Amino acid sequence: MGSRVQAFRRTVRRRHLLWVLCALGPVMALFVIIRVYPILETIRLSFFRYHPTQRNRPFVGFDNYTRLLEDEAFHTALANTLLFCVLAVTITLTLAFSIALLLRAIEKAAPIYELLLYIPVVTPWVPASVIWKWIFDPIHGVLNYLLAFVGVTRIAWLQDEHVILYAIVMVTVWKMLGYFVVVFGVGLRNIPDEVLEAAELDGATPWQRLRYVILPLMRPLILFTVIIATIIFFNVYAPVYVLTASAQGAPAYDLKIVIGEIYQSAFVFYRMGYAGAQSVVILLFVLSLVAVQFLALRQKD
Amino acid sequence: MKRRDLLKAAALTLPASLAPGLLSSPAFADAATRGKLTIWLGYPETVDAFKLAQAEFKKTYPNVEVEILTFELREFEAKLAISVPTGSGPDILALHDFLFPRYYEGGSLDAMPADLAAVVNDAKVIDTPFKNVVTRDGKPWGLPWWTGRNAMFCNLDHLKEAGLSGPPTTYEEIWTHAEKLTKRGPNGELTRAGISLRLTGPSGGTQKFGYFYFQLAGVQMLEPGPKPGTVRSTIKDKIDAAGRVMLDHVEHLHGPKKSDDWALRHDAQGFASGDASMFMRESWVIPFVKKNGPNIKFSASPIPKGQHWGAFNLIEIMSVNKDSKLKAASWDFIRVLQNQAMLNNILESSGWIPLRRDRDYSAILAQEPRFEPMINTPPGQTQYIEAPNTAYEETTTRMGEVIQTAFRDASIVGNMDAAKRAMMRTHDAAVRVLKDQGIYAE
Repeated sequence: MGSRVQAFRRTVRRRHLLWVLCALGPVMALFVIIRVYPILETIRLSFFRYHPTQRNRPFVGFDNYTRLLEDEAFHTALANTLLFCVLAVTITLTLAFSIALLLRAIEKAAPIYELLLYIPVVTPWVPASVIWKWIFDPIHGVLNYLLAFVGVTRIAWLQDEHVILYAIVMVTVWKMLGYFVVVFGVGLRNIPDEVLEAAELDGATPWQRLRYVILPLMRPLILFTVIIATIIFFNVYAPVYVLTASAQGAPAYDLKIVIGEIYQSAFVFYRMGYAGAQSVVILLFVLSLVAVQFLALRQKD
Repeated sequence: MKRRDLLKAAALTLPASLAPGLLSSPAFADAATRGKLTIWLGYPETVDAFKLAQAEFKKTYPNVEVEILTFELREFEAKLAISVPTGSGPDILALHDFLFPRYYEGGSLDAMPADLAAVVNDAKVIDTPFKNVVTRDGKPWGLPWWTGRNAMFCNLDHLKEAGLSGPPTTYEEIWTHAEKLTKRGPNGELTRAGISLRLTGPSGGTQKFGYFYFQLAGVQMLEPGPKPGTVRSTIKDKIDAAGRVMLDHVEHLHGPKKSDDWALRHDAQGFASGDASMFMRESWVIPFVKKNGPNIKFSASPIPKGQHWGAFNLIEIMSVNKDSKLKAASWDFIRVLQNQAMLNNILESSGWIPLRRDRDYSAILAQEPRFEPMINTPPGQTQYIEAPNTAYEETTTRMGEVIQTAFRDASIVGNMDAAKRAMMRTHDAAVRVLKDQGIYAE
């Protein structure tokens, strides 16, 4: 009897394994083809001098990586992207968290505000950037027109190299704010009322409730949003391209950013191998950034 | 001979003996006159001429479907680079002069038929500098079809308002005219550029900076090296001219002579909207401004002279893809594009200048005399094209980045040494890329 039960269990286990393999196999295969293979191929390419129209594609070892150390354009792009990322992540998340807190106080009307704030999120980057391009126009734009009322002289938002990065931060914050307001809103709604009431009964001030109750409970969500925002903002490209593009005379890409550099290396200069090396470095860079954030913000036992 | 060997010999000789018959058979002829002929264009404004040719072509090839697709220029270049080497590119390759070497060296071009090669080789039909662009080892590999030749465009109302009798004719006059044409607002901010300079977009910026450089140096910043495909930088040898051009730019972007500003609308858009009084560009500006600034009264005159005098040309070349299944039909399509009607159309609708000198453009010139300095070369003016090379985009981009960074540096004003140093950095940037790509010539 016992041996028959064991045999039955073994069959079930085998079939279960088969079932798992059948169910997950196609998904895993797709994942490998769409996600893993391109990454591995990019790493492989980074060791070659690869130009799509040239027949000779020699192995160059670490030459592409050594060249990166001397590439001033790439260094500028990396510095710009880091500054952009720090500003965009900090401003977006701080604003989103503050708005989500305020919306918690008006719970009934909150969905309407969340919906309004979410509209830019679902608006595609290109039309959104085109609208902002008009707003930023130094002579005909509404922003300079309004600023003129308070005595601010003409600002070349997208033409002045010292201002362009901040203009793009402004657009990005506007675009992504709604998403993080909704995420924080969900997190705040999940904090049990009893916990906050107990703190209030204990005499905690609103600031103390925020500092010692809300923020610690929101820590996992803050970690999630910081990581997601970092990845999103580090990969910024479309707004930079569209905002700095002009139909005639002033082609896009006046602000150097890493994705733009990679695109340029691959599809303008056709240095696929070098673009591969740039991509690998950025992948490692973002991974280490995320790891640092994870270590800094992870829940302590 | 064994039986197996006999069979082998028969298997090898049979196709060879049948081949001539097969090639002339209706089925094979059908394959050459049936199918889809694809054309991709990076200059969408030229599509009308292709559509006109398509109608004519269909009379001879009723069973060939012609597909003409247009793309944004950079997208077009990327699509070609990816598709042609994999055998999935278009049948007709419309290549700019700087793209041509990439596809010639990649072995992607079909050999040109003798009659079309004779057209290219005839100096009375195609000017020698343009023939040279497509010629390798004495054989042409494509037909130079049109050129983008540059000229000086001036707003006539602005000239009159500034009390100027006409467009600038010398290098020095470019700058003195620009100063007089510039307009300022109450706060001293520029409201109109005397001249619209190319201040952004590094690759195009190098090209436009070169318009000035040639008039003083008599050569381009990048010239072909002794070995085909190699390139040398002339900046170091012509550093006085290079420094002068840089200094003139910077002094007209900062300080009392300021004649242009980054905040103003630039290039053809700026000119068509009246934000700029003068600028130098190619012939396509004429239909563009007529369409986008119908109230702007403007002139087109030859590029002003310096110690030297040269006009820049950007050449569009018609070649056939080696992997095309409709090679003969593709060459026939290119033949149709040489008809007077198609050449008139390209000139009239897009403003690009047809390169065939054995055709008569008087009908179009009568309607639009501003094409004159671009169609009929003024006596004494040199025609130049950029040195074709496989690293064109990268070299000009990196040079332009240095040039345009220097434009923003007000400390260069009045400092020729600083201007020369900026140009030496431009030279170094060019040399670095050219050496890295293995096409640098001393």
